Amino acid sequence: MDATRIGLIAIGVVFGVDLLLLLGLVSLKAVHRRRMERHDARRSAYVAVLSRHLAFEHHTDPIGSNAGDDDAFIDAVIDLRNIVSGTEIETLAGIVDRVGLRKRQVARLRRRFPLGRRLRAAVSLAEIGDESTAAVLIEHLDDREREVRIQCARGLGRMQYTAAIDPILERLGREHPWVRARFADTLVGFGAKATWPLIAYIRVNLGHDENVGVIEAIRILKNLGDGEAGPPIAGVLRAADDPEVQIAAVEALGVVGGPLAIAPLLDALRSPDWRLRAKAATSLGEIGDPSVAAALSAGLEDENWWVRRNSAAALNLLPGGDDSLIAALGSDDRFARDAAAEALADSGALGAARDRAEIGQATEADGILIDYVTAQEAVPA
Amino acid sequence: MSEAKKVLVADDSETVTTLLVTALELEGYEVDIALNGIEAYEKGIAGDYDLVILDQLMPGLLGLEIIERWRNEGHQMRVIMLSGVDDDRTVVHSLDLGAVDFVRKPFRLPELTARIRQRLAN
Repeated sequence: MDATRIGLIAIGVVFGVDLLLLLGLVSLKAVHRRRMERHDARRSAYVAVLSRHLAFEHHTDPIGSNAGDDDAFIDAVIDLRNIVSGTEIETLAGIVDRVGLRKRQVARLRRRFPLGRRLRAAVSLAEIGDESTAAVLIEHLDDREREVRIQCARGLGRMQYTAAIDPILERLGREHPWVRARFADTLVGFGAKATWPLIAYIRVNLGHDENVGVIEAIRILKNLGDGEAGPPIAGVLRAADDPEVQIAAVEALGVVGGPLAIAPLLDALRSPDWRLRAKAATSLGEIGDPSVAAALSAGLEDENWWVRRNSAAALNLLPGGDDSLIAALGSDDRFARDAAAEALADSGALGAARDRAEIGQATEADGILIDYVTAQEAVPA
Repeated sequence: MSEAKKVLVADDSETVTTLLVTALELEGYEVDIALNGIEAYEKGIAGDYDLVILDQLMPGLLGLEIIERWRNEGHQMRVIMLSGVDDDRTVVHSLDLGAVDFVRKPFRLPELTARIRQRLAN
């Protein structure tokens, strides 16, 4: 057999295999589409019968005994739960109980395989679970599958099951970063009820096991925005050795610290770590107390660009902060002058000054700002 | 015997339309549906409805845009806005445009049907 003949046979085999694969793929897609169409048709039928139950309390149309195992039924229940409130939710809960939906989903979740059905069960329980399923959801916060763990936490958060706050917190530090972020979202969803468990968690774990979970807990407190957390976080800032924990505390104090956080933040503004100084400047701006203007003005002369930039931006947020920035334009320090000018341009103060100048109503401060920027623009790059 | 009142339910969610059609037919109304903004706009003009229940977020045209067009063209049908958007500006704008009521999702079905009954009785 010559080489040309062998080559042609090889091409034919490859073409044949490709064709078979393509046909297989097309068939699979068609099967999947038909399955989805059947699912949608069943879902619509369930929505119709459930609607009759909701609209007429004595309605007696039977719901199939297998509904508790049917994803289409679960989707119909979830859809309706998102639309109605009040007694209709109780009616739906009664129907869900009658078909044994929760029990069947719990059984599915407890099986080892297949993952798709277990995950689906976790999502269902996250959406329609109640206190009777809370213990199972807590148990599966240790599930071997990440997405199942996430759904269990979400479900506990959705039902505002406060006894789940501590179990979720305990797992925060040892979780995969993706799961940790979703657990954090769940804890934020608990609102102020999570504040003191988070503070207790930080107190127990600060200084141990490389501060595992402490930074996440501080960030959650920041997102919760509950002022109760201010003094304890200020305490963390004083007590922590780990600069990453200190940075998280400084960031959180800008949101939840209030006036009591000013003193520790001014200390942080004098830290040898430039990251801490930069974050402290931002947080002081967020608190917005004009008494820190002098400290932030000093920050304009910091050796680090980020500290200068953040100090200028923070001054912009203070009542009367513009005056400090205008005054900084006369500083001997070129970096301080530039940081102040940039912040004034970013805040729109420069544009407003130019507008006033055009109509002959420029103030003395406007004149200083326009002269400074004009002089800078004239300097060749 | 008086003729049944005609209601148009416009919402892109089939679950919402199924639920409302079921509830309103039980009340004795004649109910029609529209599943997108453009269909709602056209049916609203053509259908001579006593009341339109209009979702705010629909593909094609938003609920507010539909009322605005109807009003600009001189159509004065009664509209109850239905929306999952919990935004005071949308509520105020809807009422300014002449919507007779605004109901937020999720809603209580008996309360919504009572509001519809009351609007159709007036």
